[in-house]
Amino acid sequence: MRESPSKITKNNMMKTLTPWLFLLPSLAILITFLIIPIIEAFRWSLLDYKIIADTSEFIGLANFRELFADEMFWKAFINTILFVLIVLPMNIFLPMVLASLVNQKIKAVGAFRVMYYVPVVTPIVVGALMWKMLYSQDGAMSRFLVSIGILDQPMNFLTNSTTALVAVAFITAWKGLGYYMIMYLANLQSIPNQLYESASIDGATSIQKFTKITMPMLVPSMTLVSILTIVNGLKVFEEIALTTNGGPAGATTTLVMYIYDKFMNLDVSIASAAGLVLLGLAIVGSLIQMKLTSKREEDLRA
Amino acid sequence: MKGKSRNKKIIVYFLMIVITVITVGPFLYTLFIALKSPSQGIYDGLLPTDPSLINFVDAFKKTDFMLYLWNTVIVTGIAVPLNLLFSSLAGYALARSNFKGRTLVLTLIISTMTVPFQLYMAPLFQIAGEMGLRNTHVGLTILQISTAFGIYFMRQAFLNIPKELEESAYMDGANPFQVWLKIAVPLVKPTIISLAIYTFTFTWGDYLWPLLNTTDSTMYTLSIALAQMSQNFDGGNLKLISAASILTTIPSLLIFIWLQKYFISGATDGAVKG
Repeated sequence: MRESPSKITKNNMMKTLTPWLFLLPSLAILITFLIIPIIEAFRWSLLDYKIIADTSEFIGLANFRELFADEMFWKAFINTILFVLIVLPMNIFLPMVLASLVNQKIKAVGAFRVMYYVPVVTPIVVGALMWKMLYSQDGAMSRFLVSIGILDQPMNFLTNSTTALVAVAFITAWKGLGYYMIMYLANLQSIPNQLYESASIDGATSIQKFTKITMPMLVPSMTLVSILTIVNGLKVFEEIALTTNGGPAGATTTLVMYIYDKFMNLDVSIASAAGLVLLGLAIVGSLIQMKLTSKREEDLRA
Repeated sequence: MKGKSRNKKIIVYFLMIVITVITVGPFLYTLFIALKSPSQGIYDGLLPTDPSLINFVDAFKKTDFMLYLWNTVIVTGIAVPLNLLFSSLAGYALARSNFKGRTLVLTLIISTMTVPFQLYMAPLFQIAGEMGLRNTHVGLTILQISTAFGIYFMRQAFLNIPKELEESAYMDGANPFQVWLKIAVPLVKPTIISLAIYTFTFTWGDYLWPLLNTTDSTMYTLSIALAQMSQNFDGGNLKLISAASILTTIPSLLIFIWLQKYFISGATDGAVKG
C-alpha cells in the first residue's frame, strides 16, 4: 500500500513533533525555574551584582578571590567535607544492616519496614525540632547517656562545639535510614538464593555469608547510596539551620549555611561563587566515589 | 540446631526493636511532651502523668494553624498531580521515541540532579519575583510541578514495560497520547504512586524555598510556621511546638501508611525486574 506524499510528510512531522509535545510542559518549567537560574548563578559569580538596585558590573574572578580570602569560607568548606565524611559511613552501613534484618522471612517484618521508613516521610522541620529537644541539656539523649555511664553530667549536644557537627549529621543519617534501606532491600532480593545454599553446604557461617556474598553483591547499591549521600549531604540545610543555625562559633557552618547568610545579606555574587564551589564538590565527590567503586567491582570480578 | 536458630531469631528481633526505638522514638518523645498538662514540666519525666489535649487545642487557638494547614494542602494539591502528569509525559517521550536531541535532553535533565539548590536559589528568587510569584501558592510549587528526578524515575519505569501492548494499540489506530494514557500509564501504576508519595513528602515538608518566597505570614506553610514558632524555643512554647509538630506529621504518616504496600513493594519489584 502506497501513501500519498503529502500524507507521508504529515506523518513524519507528527512523528518528530509528538515527543516534543510530550516534553513541552516539563521543558518549559525546567528551563524557566532550573536551567535559567543555574546559568544566571554562573553569570552572577562573575559580576558585582546588586540585587535590589538591579545594577551589575563585570569583575571577572574578583568574587572568587574575595571568597578564597575569607577565613569563614574555609571553615565552612572544611565543615562541609567533615559533615559528609561523618554521614557517609552511617548511610552506607546502617541501612545495609537494616535491610538484611528486614529481608528475613520472619513474623512482623513488614511492620518493622514501615517503622524504619517513618523518618523519611517526616517533614524535616519536624525532624529537626524533635532532635533539638532530644539533644537539649535536659533531653532524653543526655539522660540516657548519663544513666548508662557514658556521660558524667548532662550536656547540650548542639551548643558544644565538639559534638554539634556529629549531632546534626546524625539527624541527616536518621532521616535517610529507611530510604537507603529500601535501595539495599531491592538489591538484596536480586541476589540468587543458590549462592547462599551452596555456601551453607560448604559450611559457611552467617557472618561469612554476609561478608563473602552479601556485601560484594551489594556494591552497586553502595555506589548509588554513596553518590546520593554526597550530593544530598552537601545540600543539608534544615537540620543545621533549625538546630544550631551554624553555631556554636561556626562549628556547624557548612557551605550551605555560608551561602544562605551571604544571600540574606544580599551578597548574591559571593553567594553564587560559593554555590559554584559547592557544585564543584558535588561533581568531584561523585566522580571519586564512582572511580573507587568501579575499581572495587573490577577487583571483585578478577 | 533448633535452639541455635531460636537464639538467632531473638537477636534479630532485639536488634529490630532497638532500631525501632531510634526511628520512631523521637515521635513518641515529642508526642509525650505534647500530651503533658500545664502542671508538668517539659523534661519532667518521660511519660505525661496527667495526659491532656490542651496543647493540641492551643495549636489551633493560639496560632493560625488552620490557615497554615490550608496553604500546605493547596500547595501540595497543585504540585502532586502536575508533577505526575508532566513527569510521566516527558518520561514516556524519553523512554519510547527515538527523536533527535533525546540524548541531549536526557543528559541535561540527569546532570541538573547534582546541582545543589543553594547555587541557584538567589536567581530563582529574582525570577519568581519578576513573574509575580512571590507570596503566591503557585510560586511555592515551582520546584515540584515538574522535576528532573520525576522525569528520570518515570522514564526508567516505562523502559521496563513490554512494548507489545503499545504496538498493538497503534495497529488499532490509537494516537500516541491515547497509548500513553490508556496503555502505558496503567502499567507503571506502582511507580506513579511512588512518585506521588515522593512529591507529597517533599512539598509538604519543603522549607528553604517557602522560607525565601514567603514574606507574608498569611502565606506560611506548616513548615515555615513551625520554624517561626520555634524561634522561641523555651519552656512554655515547647509543648505547643510539639503538638504542632505532631499535627504537621500526621497527614504524611496517614498517606504513607495508606500507600506503603504499593510503595515498598513497588520499589523492590521494579528493581528485581531491572
